[in-house]
Amino acid sequence: MRRAALLFAYSLKRVRTLVITTGLLLAALQLVLIFVGGAIQTSGGFDQLSAIIPPFARELLGPSVTVVMSFGGIVCMGYFEVAVMGALIALAVTLGTVPASEVETGFMDLILARPLARHWIITRTVALTTLVTTAMVALMVAGTWTGLRLFAPAGIAWPEARLINSLAVNLGMLTLCWGGVAMAIGAGSRRRSVAGGTAGLLALTTFLLDYVARLWQPAEKIAWLSPFRYYNPFDLITGTALPYKNLVVLGGIAAAGFAAAYVLFARRDISH
Amino acid sequence: MAPISIRNLTKRYGSVRAVNNLNLEVAPGEILGFLGLNGAGKTTTIRILLDLLRPNSGSAFLLGHDCQADGLQARSNIGYLPGEMGIYSDLTGHEVLDLLAKLSNKGVDKVRRGELQERLEFPESDLRRRLREYSTGMKRKLGLIQAFQSDPLLLILDEPTEGLDPLMQESFYKLLVDVKQRGRTVFMSSHVLSEVDRVCDRIALIRKGELVLLSTIEETRKLAARPVRVLFAEDVPGAPGLPAGTEVIETFPRSWNLTVEGPLGPLLRAIATLPVRDIEIAEAKLEDVILKYYRDGAPERKP
Repeated sequence: MRRAALLFAYSLKRVRTLVITTGLLLAALQLVLIFVGGAIQTSGGFDQLSAIIPPFARELLGPSVTVVMSFGGIVCMGYFEVAVMGALIALAVTLGTVPASEVETGFMDLILARPLARHWIITRTVALTTLVTTAMVALMVAGTWTGLRLFAPAGIAWPEARLINSLAVNLGMLTLCWGGVAMAIGAGSRRRSVAGGTAGLLALTTFLLDYVARLWQPAEKIAWLSPFRYYNPFDLITGTALPYKNLVVLGGIAAAGFAAAYVLFARRDISH
Repeated sequence: MAPISIRNLTKRYGSVRAVNNLNLEVAPGEILGFLGLNGAGKTTTIRILLDLLRPNSGSAFLLGHDCQADGLQARSNIGYLPGEMGIYSDLTGHEVLDLLAKLSNKGVDKVRRGELQERLEFPESDLRRRLREYSTGMKRKLGLIQAFQSDPLLLILDEPTEGLDPLMQESFYKLLVDVKQRGRTVFMSSHVLSEVDRVCDRIALIRKGELVLLSTIEETRKLAARPVRVLFAEDVPGAPGLPAGTEVIETFPRSWNLTVEGPLGPLLRAIATLPVRDIEIAEAKLEDVILKYYRDGAPERKP
């Protein structure tokens, strides 16, 4: 246990720059969004923006479009912006494939030549991914509240804490889900690029599947396969309570990924 | 208890047998050279000992503990130098040594580390630098320090002098003598036959995954054909009727160049009636035997 904690601390130290930079950027993005949202609100721009959306688009996008075209919607946008989701998932994939990287470089040889059980390698990675994901989401939430205090126009209603927390928790679980998938792939891989690339491609494919299924009915039949189906920020913004089923599914995928990683890593040959 | 015991070990990659029914015991306090051409199965065997690879059949024991079933105990008192040091380049030498020392059972022994640094001429200033600034030789020295720093009972070294300059090789040989004198056991793979000749007590030669030679250095050297030059006081015709094991390389009227495998007695008896002026016998070279095993597929020779 002591050796595993040591390895965890070492791994955290190695990724600290990446994690701190990403976390600060995500938090800063919340501040920027709120600043911009405040400026638009003050100038009455939201009404003008809503007016220029054509009726067919309004019908296609549903009531969520009017919600997003508001100060509260802009505040929440940081939790479902594609770049933000992409950054979080990329970070989770990077962390989930740390064992593959250590195998590839040969560092794993030196670690496992010591009296350290293989399962600690995966436990370390699970802890690292979970901690970093939590920290990222917490920084985003902190950024949101800091931004609201600094830049929200006077008298405007702030999004409820419950909504921000729901978005953050759901996004965090989605991120962790991809961390689990990447870990399972990475636990059986010799090359981090292969593991990361495969996980990334899978994420992109399932993202597109979910996106297409929202516009094209036939794809709806298999859309349940996409983890992104279990993150519906627009529903949350329009007032739907956070569906715990979504969290269970995403958490289940993450847990299955972690379990697969334990099994695969315990059985594999370590060769580079 | 043998520090290393390998029993009927087989490792296959698809249809290729990387290690085939290998049996080997390393005695306490000895330095055993593990030889073989590239791809012969040396590194595979070492990786099985460290439980990095899982064998298809057979078993291996380190310090009396099964490498697979009781791997943590098996690896609790060993030092390992891999063929290539896979270390992240953003770490300093100190960070690498501290981390690896703490991951072993024994923790950091600054005094021992200091001794090793001195012997391998690796100053503190170099340890404070990041590995991206290290040369190949410096990385090798760092690898040696991490393997030796916990003063383990058993050292497993994969081509330890690869990348070291001659002076550092000399320091390494002295280090080996020192650890041997303190009763430690060393299992090292090497391609440098002069090094094996100098530091090893025994050699184990593996070919296509099978052990084909296991012997002391002295006994192995005896397997080599010794170059013999016979000089005559007057002209002698040809070299007929020489005993088995004697090969004629070339003949001149007043000298023969021969090679002799085994004892010289039969040759001396065969030329006793000739006008021999002098006989020059060169020392057999270990590398002649090893290269013969590498090249010709010489027959298995195990105790």
